[in-house]
Amino acid sequence: MQADTITDKGFFMKYRYWIIIGGILLLMPPLSLLFQFSQDTNFCGTWCPRMFFSWRKGMTGGEFLIGFARSYLGVALVFGVLISTFFLGRYWCSHLCPIGGSMEVGSKIVPDFLKINYSGVPSSPVRYGYLSVYLIAPAIGLGSLCCNYCNFAAVPRIFGAAFSPADMSYFFRTAGLINLGLVVVLGFLAKGGRAYCNFLCPIGALDAVSNRLGLRFGKRVTVNEAKCNACGICAKACPTWAIGISDKAKIDQLSCMPCRECEKVCTREAINYGRFKK
Amino acid sequence: MNIKKTIFFILTVAVSLTAAGHRWGDSAHSIGLITSKGGKARHPAALQSGETGYSLIATATVIPPYKGNARVVLEGEPKLDYKIHLSAPVVDLKLHRKPELRDDVLYDLQPSDRIALWVLMKPPVLDPVCGMSYTNEFSKHTHEGKDYFFCSEDCLETFRQAPGRYQNVGVRGKYTLAFYDTITGNSVLNVPVIFKTKEDTHDAGGHHH
Repeated sequence: MQADTITDKGFFMKYRYWIIIGGILLLMPPLSLLFQFSQDTNFCGTWCPRMFFSWRKGMTGGEFLIGFARSYLGVALVFGVLISTFFLGRYWCSHLCPIGGSMEVGSKIVPDFLKINYSGVPSSPVRYGYLSVYLIAPAIGLGSLCCNYCNFAAVPRIFGAAFSPADMSYFFRTAGLINLGLVVVLGFLAKGGRAYCNFLCPIGALDAVSNRLGLRFGKRVTVNEAKCNACGICAKACPTWAIGISDKAKIDQLSCMPCRECEKVCTREAINYGRFKK
Repeated sequence: MNIKKTIFFILTVAVSLTAAGHRWGDSAHSIGLITSKGGKARHPAALQSGETGYSLIATATVIPPYKGNARVVLEGEPKLDYKIHLSAPVVDLKLHRKPELRDDVLYDLQPSDRIALWVLMKPPVLDPVCGMSYTNEFSKHTHEGKDYFFCSEDCLETFRQAPGRYQNVGVRGKYTLAFYDTITGNSVLNVPVIFKTKEDTHDAGGHHH
């Protein structure tokens, strides 16, 4: 499969890190701009993107819907992300998400010899194994992963801990320290900085499904097989290890986000972002 | 079917299920409604005895017509050292009026306000045998690298005879995170905080996110 048009080669590819850093500065403490429009301080509460779609055992339909109302801005965010992904690819994950973006930017300042290469671990089985438990465990009363292992709670508090005793309090609990460990080991210390996104983010997992379902309708990063010589340089640059090399480079659209790091390094201009043609 | 993928899927499900089912005893979350008529906590906050420190996130919504200032107190015996922090923007852009916390008093609570308090608790040093709170007259005894403090020779002797019985000593029983209107003195919310031993945490009734 290959793209038949090449679009916006410049801005989103060239300035991706600046867009991520801009998002972090606006959305993370100390500024937390977006949240202050709604009397919030972080992703918890009105902006929570993780809890509203989690059905807990014993919950009535009305209580489930109240969860949507309570986190209505999180609901709007998630649906906005899924719809934009369907047509444009996972730009939220690659350019806008301050959670994954912080881990990727953080990993850039870690020396290479300290980094862990997770590319030997198949990402989809881990991601959907985790998502299955995320959805099923609360529904059958076996516990929950929602709040105790929340990337949207942990990362903002890493920023906030330097300024706010309330944010620092998050790390005075075992679950907070475990979350910090996960962010460090699967984020800052990961080659490419995106192993957390690739394995444990439920929003990323849903977004990846939208990316896969919208393949025929929207724009994606694709390989022009006529130009590809399977050199493998793109696979090494991919932060989500979404590219496999056999006779040609092949992109797994369940893991790909349009960071376009592969497109940057391809010497034959064989990778482009655009519409599919069969 | 790809065996490697299947193994990773099963492993992830197993680890995730373990993580989902495990409850950390040093932290809890309570959800409450602040009302003029005493408030309502959705469930007690359950914590496990024997930890060296605890944190509770107490979130609450102010229900009309209540408005005012509320003092927040952690009540129960023996007294715990505690600190309360209000989750608030580091740089307040003043886009909305918000309640403020000063000296454990929430100022300017208005209908529909939502608050998130972080309560950090530290249990006192207790005589593991009789449960008395530490005073300067206590004597120290070290057992298997851990320090224990005793009010009397009798308690120390009891401990020496069966130290295994007193390993998990810690704060126990029911405490309350109480919110009182500063003008009327009336309770506007009571959040039960229950410290249970390892044996009975299974039915602790804690909020389990």
